[in-house]
Amino acid sequence: MGREVSESCVDGVVMEMVAAYCGRFYAAKPELAAGRIEAIGFQVGHQLSERYTMERPRFTDHLEAIKFICKDFWSELFKKQIDNLKTNHRGTFVLQDNHFRWLTRVSLDPAVESTDATENDSGSLGDSAAQTTSMLLYFPCGLIRGALTNLGIPCAVSADMSNLPACELNHSSP
Amino acid sequence: MSDMASTACFVIVSKNDIPIYDAEVGSAPKKEDQAYQHQFILHAALDVVQDLAWATSAMFLKSVDRFNDLVVSVYVTAGHTRFMLLHDSRSEDGIKSFFQEVHELYIKIFLNPLYLPGSRITSSHFNTKVRALARKYL
Repeated sequence: MGREVSESCVDGVVMEMVAAYCGRFYAAKPELAAGRIEAIGFQVGHQLSERYTMERPRFTDHLEAIKFICKDFWSELFKKQIDNLKTNHRGTFVLQDNHFRWLTRVSLDPAVESTDATENDSGSLGDSAAQTTSMLLYFPCGLIRGALTNLGIPCAVSADMSNLPACELNHSSP
Repeated sequence: MSDMASTACFVIVSKNDIPIYDAEVGSAPKKEDQAYQHQFILHAALDVVQDLAWATSAMFLKSVDRFNDLVVSVYVTAGHTRFMLLHDSRSEDGIKSFFQEVHELYIKIFLNPLYLPGSRITSSHFNTKVRALARKYL
């Protein structure tokens, strides 16, 4: 345990997975594709949370588990912590990441002939481009949902990317 | 450590209270009815474990219950999976090391994408390694 792969491999796998599910497997049904991607994320999150909690003491309540997700879990996955955590004290938490790693490499419009689109131009986000990018977010949503479910907190997670590359994840427990 | 025959029964219970693995790992000769009694004792101890698990953030709960001269020791993971060991009094450090190594093995099983969390662990490799660890630490 503890072997590492290069980040470009992780980026490549995630992008190809999203492209495969959206473009080939469920080309006409984006909701099904989203569901499958989220389910994959769920299982991965489930397993990862078990692995990353091995070394540390267990959690005594929900807030500790959420803080673990924001700090340790996020650092292991994205090498940084969550920038902002908000709650309405009635079961909904908003996790905000101002520089979400998996979105920083998304290039926008394939019709434009520019070859080095590394950062998003958040001003003009076309509709289909927005849909493709939002597909990418189902996987991290599933990751968080899987991790929290393993820690004993059933919840629903949704993502919101109103300004890239920032990204907000809403998680609400029933 | 003396070479007396030792009784030890090891069970892994998932967070849905379903046993996903069990093994008699003692060095005493196996007796059929004793195996049932051991599993019964371990299941009866689950209630006690439930209360104790929420009282502390440690993983190793040490001994939670006794039955005649047998002791139940428990180790809880963050995902609320319980490793339970029924044994006649042994050194606590040995048991803690045993649990920690089994935890590593358990995580490897868990990381297998073809393993459904909460289902029985059927890997013979896991079985062999757990018995080897039991011989080493218990």
